[in-house]
Amino acid sequence: MPNSALAQEFQGGIVIANNSSGSMKIVQAPLPDSVILPLQQRIGDEAVALVAVGDEVLTGQLIAETTDYFCTPIHATISGIISAIDKQIIPHKSGLKSNCISIKSDGKDEWISLNQQHKNFLQSPPEKLIDAIQAAGIVGLGGGGFPTHAKLKNLTNCQTIIINGTECEPGIMCDDALMQNHPLEVISGVEILLHICAASRAIIAIEDDKPAAFSALQKCNKNQQISIVKIPTKYTSGAEKLLIKSLLNIEIPSGSFASDEGIICQNVATVKAISDAIIEGKPLVSRVVTVTGSGVAIPQNYEVRLGAKFADIIAASKPNNLPHNLRMGGLMMGLDVENIGLPIGKISNCIFVNNAEKKPAEQPCIRCGQCNLVCPVGLLPQQLFWWSKHKNTEKAMDYNLPDCIECRCCDFVCPSHIPLAQHFVAAKELNYQQTQQQYKTAIAKKRFEFRQFRLERNAAERAEMMAKKRAELQKKMANDKSQKAKIAKALERVKTKKDENNSNI
Amino acid sequence: MMRQVIYALLLGVIAEFYFFGWGVFWQILLGVSTAILVESAFLKIRKLPIKPVITDGSGALTAMLLAISIPSIAPWWIVVLGVAFALIFGKQLYGGLGHNPFNPAMLGYAFLLISYPLQMTTWAAEFLNFAQSFEAIFGINLPDALTGATKLDSLKTQLALGKSATELSINSISQAWINLGFLLGGLYLLARKIILWHIPIAFLSGVLTISSLLFLIDNSLYLPPQNHLLLGGTMLGAFFIATDPVSAATTPKGRLIYGFFIGILVVIIRVFGGYPDGVAFAVLLMNIAVPLIDYYTQPKVFGQ
Repeated sequence: MPNSALAQEFQGGIVIANNSSGSMKIVQAPLPDSVILPLQQRIGDEAVALVAVGDEVLTGQLIAETTDYFCTPIHATISGIISAIDKQIIPHKSGLKSNCISIKSDGKDEWISLNQQHKNFLQSPPEKLIDAIQAAGIVGLGGGGFPTHAKLKNLTNCQTIIINGTECEPGIMCDDALMQNHPLEVISGVEILLHICAASRAIIAIEDDKPAAFSALQKCNKNQQISIVKIPTKYTSGAEKLLIKSLLNIEIPSGSFASDEGIICQNVATVKAISDAIIEGKPLVSRVVTVTGSGVAIPQNYEVRLGAKFADIIAASKPNNLPHNLRMGGLMMGLDVENIGLPIGKISNCIFVNNAEKKPAEQPCIRCGQCNLVCPVGLLPQQLFWWSKHKNTEKAMDYNLPDCIECRCCDFVCPSHIPLAQHFVAAKELNYQQTQQQYKTAIAKKRFEFRQFRLERNAAERAEMMAKKRAELQKKMANDKSQKAKIAKALERVKTKKDENNSNI
Repeated sequence: MMRQVIYALLLGVIAEFYFFGWGVFWQILLGVSTAILVESAFLKIRKLPIKPVITDGSGALTAMLLAISIPSIAPWWIVVLGVAFALIFGKQLYGGLGHNPFNPAMLGYAFLLISYPLQMTTWAAEFLNFAQSFEAIFGINLPDALTGATKLDSLKTQLALGKSATELSINSISQAWINLGFLLGGLYLLARKIILWHIPIAFLSGVLTISSLLFLIDNSLYLPPQNHLLLGGTMLGAFFIATDPVSAATTPKGRLIYGFFIGILVVIIRVFGGYPDGVAFAVLLMNIAVPLIDYYTQPKVFGQ
């Protein structure tokens, strides 16, 4: 194969010892008794349920639709009966509840009949394939959850497809296992993408601590357009813009997207899901999830139906009896969650079950500058922290707050244990609110000023009208002078007549 | 981290001890005790937890830096006043660790030097034992034979009297050893990555640049550059004082500028100023410039 050289390194980032020694098998998790499928997706409106409580559904059946462009339809992930449609807690950043469809399993896992009309995808027009990907409910499975069809639509002049198999966060191994166990599907998924995007090449990037995944893909790859590249193992290597920089030496400008440069990035698991959807006609009803952490005996990968509970697969990994901290997603960028009853979603790539530990106390920032050495985008976190903490968003913007990718490298090295990234997220939110507020204020001011202008204009118009009227009236009066004289004369005449009459009597 | 810095100071302290005697020990003991007392009292008034601040070692480090900068036979109230001033006006009044714009130890030093120039420039001329130094510090006057002026001060006077610079440089053997001690300690900090190379290297290059320039202009009037490197507070300043992260510049480029200009200022103040050594004033002057340096030396952000 043409290219297997090590790509160049980016600045900053951190190397975290990866001491997980899990097996690279993918264990089929037992069919769950019930699943919970949230109607709220990553962003956008809630989907609308097409089923009612009591309906029987088959695995893969469409159960909720959406018109929101940034959302995907929802499918039943097991066969059974709709047991409830109500609000439940979901693993989402907001911590809010969402309407969810609950399905009680009938234990049979009966599938809908699969539509394999695009099996020979090279004969299908790209738009049809994108529609099929959307209909299969595919979103970015690397953790971002961005709808795949939205990335592929309206793509012009796409040159390069980058397949992200870096899996740079320590502990997670679901992509590694997927590449080792399903290399053929990954390669065929890349071929489908090449056809859809009419791109000239695809690069699969894998960190150099995953030699087995690398050789598995290398063995299956017969396509000249696809190259597989090792990149140095270092955290944040998988961040889209940094990955593009290390592979192609193209720096996507701040504020623009990879697609502006004719590049799209997809995660390996997403690519495999695309292959399943197009070749086999299967909608996305399951994913590979890693269960790991200091609280479990066997770190393991499971292929599990979406909507199954965290508890279903945690139990299979033999957790110890100590109190645990749960985290969904990566050690660095993941989300702390409260309970094991939450449903697994499309972005749940990993569940950390860590023994609860006391966090070291936060101390003041001494501006040691460790953070700016590891910041992969070259920010000065200590300065940003100073301004963010004091809610001075204007200054924080001067120090390029929006460019922070929230990778938490700075948190990791901070000797004072300050949760820096958390402050930056809050400052970004505050800045957003302030800009909204400024926008609203500007509109309100405009409206007020227009009202003021209108009132003044009306008053002026009225004054002008009155003046005109008065002038007219006066003119009239002036004209009437002759008449007045006539009246006066007439009166006089009457008077003289009266006088005459009186004298006659 | 602060503790590592304190350990690294020990080599230089031992050298000072070797040449000046037990006074060094007394000064450090007095300084550190004052630091603990002053900070505890201040935190109590501010109703803040005391233990985390005392145990972070930053107050003790400030006290130690000040204690080893002042003459080993200075009366006890010098170091007590200096440390108290440094910690109250240089640190706690700004909000404590991380919030002070000036290097507290150097603020204390400058305060002492301006207020008590005599006590601040009278050094022990030979090794004083435990009892002798105790007497000197706690108020029993010493015979003049045991004391002398600061090395740099006397050099300056003698240069003015017409002796050649090379002739005099041999006298400063004790200074050189002390500086070597701090240099080794500083290298240890570099190796342990507790400090970064930018400030010390830039500082020493600054000293070297300006002193070589002066030496080339007139070698009978100005000291050779190697003397400037090994005299007074050069090494202590380069590795332990200018590198105080709180009051130093924080961008990589900014650190180079910051260190370099301190080096230049040190020599300028030494040679042309009225005070024997310039580290304290040079550091304080550059502290003022830090916000400006940081703002204009931001690294390039990805994608911009």
